[in-house]
Amino acid sequence: MTNNKSDIIIAIFLLCFSGVMINDASNIRDLGFEGMKADAWPRVVLWLLVVMSSVMLGKSYLKFKIVSDKDNENFSINLAKFKNALICFGMFMLFLSTLDYLGMLIGGILFVFGLLTLLGGFSHKLIVKHLLVSILSIGFMWMVFTFGLRVILPEGEILRVW
Amino acid sequence: MFDVILQAGASVLLDPVTLGLMGIGTLAGLLAGAIPGFTIAMGVILTLPFTFGMSPIQGLATMMGVFVGGFSGGLMSCMLTGIPGTPSSVATTFDGFPMVRSGKPGLALGLGLWSSFFGGMISAVILVALAPQLAFLGLEFGPWDYFSLIVFALTITVSLSGDNIIKGLIAGLLGLFAACVGEDEINGVARFAFGSDHIRQGFAFLPVLIGLFAFSQLLSDVEDSAKAKAPLMKSSAEAIRVEHRKAIATVLMNWINLIRSSFIGIFTGILPAAGGSISNILAYDQAKKASNNRNEFGKGAVNGIIAPEAANNATAGGALIMMMALGIPGDIVTAIMIGALMIHNIIPGPSFIQDEPLLAYGVFIAFFAAHFFMVGLQAFALRLFLLVTRIPMYILASVILAYCAIGVFALHNITFDIWVMFGFGVIGYFMRKLGFPLAPMILGVVLGKLAELNIARAIGISDDYSLFITRPWSLFFLIMAIVSVLFPFYQNAKKDTSFTKMYVPISMILLAIPLFLMGSPVRMVVGGILLSAGCYFIYKRSSILKTI
Repeated sequence: MTNNKSDIIIAIFLLCFSGVMINDASNIRDLGFEGMKADAWPRVVLWLLVVMSSVMLGKSYLKFKIVSDKDNENFSINLAKFKNALICFGMFMLFLSTLDYLGMLIGGILFVFGLLTLLGGFSHKLIVKHLLVSILSIGFMWMVFTFGLRVILPEGEILRVW
Repeated sequence: MFDVILQAGASVLLDPVTLGLMGIGTLAGLLAGAIPGFTIAMGVILTLPFTFGMSPIQGLATMMGVFVGGFSGGLMSCMLTGIPGTPSSVATTFDGFPMVRSGKPGLALGLGLWSSFFGGMISAVILVALAPQLAFLGLEFGPWDYFSLIVFALTITVSLSGDNIIKGLIAGLLGLFAACVGEDEINGVARFAFGSDHIRQGFAFLPVLIGLFAFSQLLSDVEDSAKAKAPLMKSSAEAIRVEHRKAIATVLMNWINLIRSSFIGIFTGILPAAGGSISNILAYDQAKKASNNRNEFGKGAVNGIIAPEAANNATAGGALIMMMALGIPGDIVTAIMIGALMIHNIIPGPSFIQDEPLLAYGVFIAFFAAHFFMVGLQAFALRLFLLVTRIPMYILASVILAYCAIGVFALHNITFDIWVMFGFGVIGYFMRKLGFPLAPMILGVVLGKLAELNIARAIGISDDYSLFITRPWSLFFLIMAIVSVLFPFYQNAKKDTSFTKMYVPISMILLAIPLFLMGSPVRMVVGGILLSAGCYFIYKRSSILKTI
């Protein structure tokens, strides 16, 4: 995925990010004590980040100009390549957003089952297999953490009402 | 002292729970090391949530088992299938796989197993002998020296972790910045919280680590749909009876190679960030150079198996020396261990061995004991490994993703930690894809707070910034940092340039200066040797340059 074009985009993004954070650093309160202020160290880190990002931008831009236009045109982000990663992101976000309602046990089983089915396929045999894997794996982990390690995992609205 | 060692030994070796946990840890490490796509670091990260409820010694003993097991697990997959389970067993593949193919699988596995064992034992002895001494040395350090040491640890991580040094430095800085978020350690002032009470508390170490390392790795593992659906290995490998006696005799007969490789491993482990992935190749290369039968290498040479396996297990001991003595992680795995200690409210550093002798010696003993578990459990792990490799990656990844969420929640019982893990997982995934090394970022996160604390202490004691270069140890580490930043340029430069010819001798002369400033006779002698060698090389090479 890396290429001079992508490096230029990342360097610009990092410069913007550093800019926003340096700006926010001015909101850090000064308690008036002697010694190093609370914003000093983050400012040093962020300015170094600005310098490094600028070097990366300059280097990538110079390389970008040297490499033929055809090579640069070949760069494209193939979203299909990231399909599975995007599915994982989506499913995980859904799992986290519904965690308070579904709880770790039901939410976890649904998350694993959903992810397995989306990544592995939809045949009847596979669905049964995925259901078994999700119930057994999450059920086992839930029991180990709840009863073995005494961790109070999110119960969720459904189990609480039930 | 002896009673402390006895007590520590009893807490590890006479407690059946600790022994059992260490056995489970070793087995998990053997499997994590064997499965391609999984790493030792990932094994240790995934073990961490289970250790929250344990006592510190039980938790560390479990992780020590994973650590030692992981280094040895890699040899199973590389020998039986030709695919290295971890980067630290790459060189074992060169001769291990051909030996298995030539009909000696039992001997090949035995050689790998016992080389790992003896390499680990040698490094354990050095660990016990050296760590307390190095810790005494660490007591000389002031905040200036500590800050410079952290700078060196970060720069060497950057220089060893990828081709693009700028991306490595950016990754390290991002790690340092992530450690800045939340209340600062000195004044308790909120930073970059954007009004969120959760962010005000800062990012907990574990969710960041699991996100950056494990979560992003799992996403990369399922990226290719066809590969994700296929079993992990299509090999028809079968469980094999290991030829222990013959292997022990062969390893001991090649004792020079064993000791040399072990010391290469220890030295590589002591260097921050230079882990088993480097030591196994270095040791293999040295074994080949020293051998009278170089042509045998690559065709199943005995020394080609002994060298990398002894070296990679010895690296573990080397990395622990730095962690135990100075609180500086030798590699990603020890960085995670430092995080684990912090969870148990223990801050490793030069006074760690003196302040927590029971725990420190417990770790030493657990490191010894884990090697015996590793030998004992290898046969069982081999059978388990063959079972696990029939499972497709997408099933393992989905289940482990859910496990990560549960494990992270268990740290503070708040959902925000899972969001942090998710956020850093996404960042880690894209960093991998964009060619940014993750090791500097992880070290940045681990060492960020320590760096800030030490620079604040230094400025608090004196506003004289020149102390960073006038104090011998600080100057020594800063020179090492500059040398390590220039190292990738030295590696990539053409051989005949004046830069490549002068890089090593000038580095030696520069490093001699702080050693002279330290004043102690031994250090001055070392400085004198470095200075003389540097001057000699400059004289020799400048005369070569003139003739060119």
